[in-house]
Amino acid sequence: MTGRRTGRALLAGGLLLTLLVAGCGVRPSRVITGRSAVSGPSQGTGLYLLAQGELVLVLRPATAGASPATAGALPATADASPANALALLVAGPDEDERGQGFTSEVPVGIDPVTVTAGADRSGLTVRTTGAALSLSAHAADQIICTVADAAAQVDLAFSFSPVTIVGPDGARPPRPCPIK
Amino acid sequence: MTPWRWAGARVLGLRVRLLLTFALLGVTTTAAVASGSYIQARTVILQQAQDAAVASLTDQLTKVYPIAQLPPTQGELDNLAQRLSDREGFAVVIYRDLRAQGSDSPELLTPELRQNVGDGRIAWQRVSFEGEPVLLIGTQLKFARPDGTSRSSGLEVYSVRSLVAEQQSIDRLASLAWLTGGLSLLLAVLLALLAARGVLRPVRDLGRAARRLGEGDLSTRLTVRGADELADVARTFNDTAGTLERQVGELRRMESDARRFVADVSHELRTPLAAMTAVTDVLDEEAGHLAGDAGRAARLVSQETQNLTQLVNDLIEVSRFDSGTARLALDDVDVAAAVTATLRIRGWLDRVRTELPPGVVARLDPRRLDVIVANLVGNAFRHGAEPVSVRLSADPDWVTIEVSDQGPGLDPEVLPHVFDRFYKADTARTRSEGSGFGLAIAWENARLHRHGDRRGSLVAGHRPGGGAVFTLRLPRDPADAGGDR
Repeated sequence: MTGRRTGRALLAGGLLLTLLVAGCGVRPSRVITGRSAVSGPSQGTGLYLLAQGELVLVLRPATAGASPATAGALPATADASPANALALLVAGPDEDERGQGFTSEVPVGIDPVTVTAGADRSGLTVRTTGAALSLSAHAADQIICTVADAAAQVDLAFSFSPVTIVGPDGARPPRPCPIK
Repeated sequence: MTPWRWAGARVLGLRVRLLLTFALLGVTTTAAVASGSYIQARTVILQQAQDAAVASLTDQLTKVYPIAQLPPTQGELDNLAQRLSDREGFAVVIYRDLRAQGSDSPELLTPELRQNVGDGRIAWQRVSFEGEPVLLIGTQLKFARPDGTSRSSGLEVYSVRSLVAEQQSIDRLASLAWLTGGLSLLLAVLLALLAARGVLRPVRDLGRAARRLGEGDLSTRLTVRGADELADVARTFNDTAGTLERQVGELRRMESDARRFVADVSHELRTPLAAMTAVTDVLDEEAGHLAGDAGRAARLVSQETQNLTQLVNDLIEVSRFDSGTARLALDDVDVAAAVTATLRIRGWLDRVRTELPPGVVARLDPRRLDVIVANLVGNAFRHGAEPVSVRLSADPDWVTIEVSDQGPGLDPEVLPHVFDRFYKADTARTRSEGSGFGLAIAWENARLHRHGDRRGSLVAGHRPGGGAVFTLRLPRDPADAGGDR
């Protein structure tokens, strides 16, 4: 009886020791998450180009002089209004961007455009002279995201406001930018 | 089995059990407390280090803004990685397929961490790299918009930081915990030894006193210390020993009173008996002339008076043995001659077969030898059957006399009691010849002879062929036995 009790006590002690030894030092951990990622202001005009089929934000320097690489079809504009951003988007990726694999599906013939904001920042409407309905889905999303982001930066609308693209051939249904 | 159990009882004695219990208690408590505080302290140390590292990284990252150009060139990424690397760690900056690293160490980032960072939160993880703990912190760089939302820039920054310093602090804590555990074990063992001594000393005293009491020292008492359970036991022991001593004393007093009474009565009876004997002697002479009932009565009175005289003499002899006043009158005796004389005086010489080698000389009390031999032979005649034989043998240490008969022998129930006083083998015969003291007196007489630690003895037994045999052994001084050797 006494022997069995002693054995049990020894077992418990051994277990405790093993636990102690195993728990020593700094152990690897699982991933711990904290608050949301660091954020801060950006400078320049934001465009959404395509890279490997995904929408990716591209920043163009705010002043034309700072970016000689953009000496393409259209003059760069100083302000970041949605229309200007759209003009830059239509111009397509510059050399560096192309070198890194950026493309654009937005056709050149869409320009010029006008962007109007709805009341109470409820939505944005993009009027274009080119065909609206024949735009590919990627091209529409590029336009929607670029316009929404630019409008949010100048406080015309929320960045998740729905955007309607209207062309001479009709209007696409309103749609918010699919990425954050 | 039994020796094992004995050894087990020894090993698991009170002292060892106390020691084990104390040690176990000490170790368990210390282990619980030490491991608890160790784990707590480790958590705090790691949490503080991690939180500080995260705060420092976010601080550094706010200085990266505003970001003016995307996508970045490899040179810009390298610049950023260099700016974020310092003495304590290095940074990894990733933009889609581009990657810049502040150090040339291999890939440490885990897929889970990248997944969590990609989901838009600051995330960190401890991993082990080449046996050293490393903290990985990662975050995206996002753009804040005036409406409170943020836009992903595609830039991810990871900080890789060694936790060796923290590990060293924690290891110091651990060795401190082990040291505390060891010291507390030592302390527990010391305390257990002290406690065991405190508990075991009274127990040992008690055991020793109980043994002394069992050996007959009824005056044994314990000193009662303190007022605990063991003191209670000691007090009870003392009370018990006191009661026992009192009662045994009472019994002894009563017994000696009774013996003194018997001795006194015997002495008082001697004088009137002497007178009566004188009268019955005259009556015996006259009995022949008395006819009829008067003659028978006179002979009966004479016979009974003789018996009574014998009884009183035996009683006096017995009370001498009881009071310890019986003394030996030693003399150098030729044993064969003494036995022959005993038989001759009683007229038994031609009825007894003797085997008495001559020349056995021993230092004995001749009167007591006579009493013993006469008793044994008389008994053999009375209770056994003839022929009765007496055999003498001797060696340097002992003289042995065997008296045997051819009777039915002794009943096994009687055998243990033959030397008791007033014991009569035939219960139906309440009045037999003899006082009932004969064998008791013979036995006492045999016991009275002693030489060194050897003591005379008288033993009753059976002969292989049937019949009782009484064996008398008397110690002999080897110096006397010179002639036999």
